[in-house]
Amino acid sequence: MSTPPIIEVRDLSKRFGSFQAVNKVSFHVERGEIFGYLGANGAGKSTTIRMLTGLLAPSSGSATVAGADIASEPTRVKRAIGYMSQRFSLYLDLSVEENLRFFAGAYGLSGAHRERRVHAALELAGLHDRRRVTTRDLPGGIRQRLALGSALLHEPAIVFLDEPTAGVDPAARRGFWRVIRDLAAQGTTVFVTTHHLDEAEYCARVGLMVDGRLVALDTPQGLKTAHVPGSLYAVESPEGTRAAAALLTDAPGVLAVEPFGQRLHVRVQGSADPLRFQNLLTSRGVLGATFEPVEPTLEDVFLALVGDAGKATP
Amino acid sequence: MLVELMALVKKELQQTFADKRIVAVLVVLPVIQIIVLGFAVHLEVDNVPTLVADEDHTPQSREFVAGLLAGDAFTRVGALPHGEDALGALQRGEASLVAVIPPGFAQHLTRGEPAAVQFLVDGTDSNRAIVAQNAAVSYAIGQSLQQMRARVAALAQQRGQPVALHTLRVEPRVLYNPQLVSALFYVPGVAASLLFIVTFIITAMGLAREKETGTLEQILVTPLTSATLILGKTLPYAGIGLVVLGLVVAAGAWIFGVPVRGSLLLIFGAGALYLLAVLGSGLLVSAAVQNQQQALMMGFFLLLPALLLSGFMTPVENMPAWLQPLTMLNPVRHFVEIMRAVLLKSATAADVASQLLALALLGLAMFGAASWVVRRRLA
Repeated sequence: MSTPPIIEVRDLSKRFGSFQAVNKVSFHVERGEIFGYLGANGAGKSTTIRMLTGLLAPSSGSATVAGADIASEPTRVKRAIGYMSQRFSLYLDLSVEENLRFFAGAYGLSGAHRERRVHAALELAGLHDRRRVTTRDLPGGIRQRLALGSALLHEPAIVFLDEPTAGVDPAARRGFWRVIRDLAAQGTTVFVTTHHLDEAEYCARVGLMVDGRLVALDTPQGLKTAHVPGSLYAVESPEGTRAAAALLTDAPGVLAVEPFGQRLHVRVQGSADPLRFQNLLTSRGVLGATFEPVEPTLEDVFLALVGDAGKATP
Repeated sequence: MLVELMALVKKELQQTFADKRIVAVLVVLPVIQIIVLGFAVHLEVDNVPTLVADEDHTPQSREFVAGLLAGDAFTRVGALPHGEDALGALQRGEASLVAVIPPGFAQHLTRGEPAAVQFLVDGTDSNRAIVAQNAAVSYAIGQSLQQMRARVAALAQQRGQPVALHTLRVEPRVLYNPQLVSALFYVPGVAASLLFIVTFIITAMGLAREKETGTLEQILVTPLTSATLILGKTLPYAGIGLVVLGLVVAAGAWIFGVPVRGSLLLIFGAGALYLLAVLGSGLLVSAAVQNQQQALMMGFFLLLPALLLSGFMTPVENMPAWLQPLTMLNPVRHFVEIMRAVLLKSATAADVASQLLALALLGLAMFGAASWVVRRRLA
């Protein structure tokens, strides 16, 4: 890519009193990319977004968004971005159409141009027939799409989505991500935070925040190779996984054992034969355990990294 | 700039009229309040419940009492056999005034000696007490004067030549409100205070509500400037405020016969300046608070002093000297004065120039401060 990055962040920090919410974060986002920002609640994802959208002044560090400095040219930044906050923040007491017309106006759109964009947003939210419905009466998933449509009214180069799928059912989530990918395909840059790790697989690159620091940043595949070495097996046992987990943790050749739903994810050194571990379990009275090779997910990456961060202290 | 402002104004009006309760607060309540307040607030004191303790039991004493009770001022609620019972009766609230005529009243009069009469007044309602006392005393003075005239006439007859009695003739003439109807005094004041309540609370709540629901954040990521935001948040309510002002003046004229002697244009012009100051302070409050509840608390906290220190109930001249200069900072005071002067005395802009200037200065100061705070808080 020869074009300069659309977002450039250098040592961005935010401190609230004695709490370091964001700690010297640096990264860049390419034009047209879906950039995922992952982390637990309180890891500093929203604070980063709020600084990049001009809602919050950084304590130190700097950033440019669409070529404009967030501290000195906030209006240029605001013209270039769309923002969808974690809370639904359209007017619940106004109709769908009134909301869209207002925000279009707030971005300076008028006349036929405004009507065209309002029309496009209605299309995106699938609310053509319900444009006069009061927003309060819409279900959650549709509200999210309306909020997204509203954030895109002025055709921003970048759209910031803060936990867009929080509290949305899985089917609606999938539909929502289809829209996001279409958007990126049309050249809009998408900066999205989420704590659904499966959603991060849709992202071109993923940054992982832990306690205000950006601890990893790569493509989903790159993160898996770097942070989940060895082979991964899903272990299932008819007698439950507790005994198996205890035995495997101490077995030579085992790198990590993490509970994963009803199963265990066991990571072993690349060359190790799963049969060896199966025999070990059988000899210790855990019968019928199955070993199935699986592809690592971002959840494994997350567990590996957060585990490392936990181990670093003692 | 204009597109953005129009969008904001339209949105504010849509939100206001989407909520039927707000419409009721804005339009119906002021009219109801002016009716209720206009009827309930009475400055005239009449029908003061009166007990009579006539210990003299003579035609003269009965005539004196009958004269006292003849007008509207006093209403006889009973009689006491002894003057000593008067305090107890006042204590129990049986009457607000007791007239005690001691024994020997008639005898003293016929002998030409000073005859004593006692009025005991319940002072818990000071205004009523003062008016009742004045009415009773002026009746008694009138009676004295009559006695004196009778004696002078008798003297003249005795001497066979006229005797001149020099007295002052006082002819009070009340201008602008000759019948001293309370409503004429109150309604303009009520109008000013209602306008304050309605527009101040609505603006103070407006921005606070957006903070509370998170919509403010969505507005702040748009390129709307803080000047546009401030104008958009106040212009619609200034418009609504002027409509309310018109309604209230019309209701006052129609129901209470409050005249509109001066220029309506001046009333609305002054109203616009007044609203500038009120909306500015409402905005200032809403920028400072976190949610609607705090805004409402703050609103009521400021409302009472603003109304009490406006001269709308009690004249500013009666307030302690140190407090009087403070009322100059109160926009309600200036607008109440303008309303009364223009409506009742057909005052011109030149007559109320100092109040207009004060409102303009207060408005600019409040609005300036609000813009500064909003800009700092939000940007």
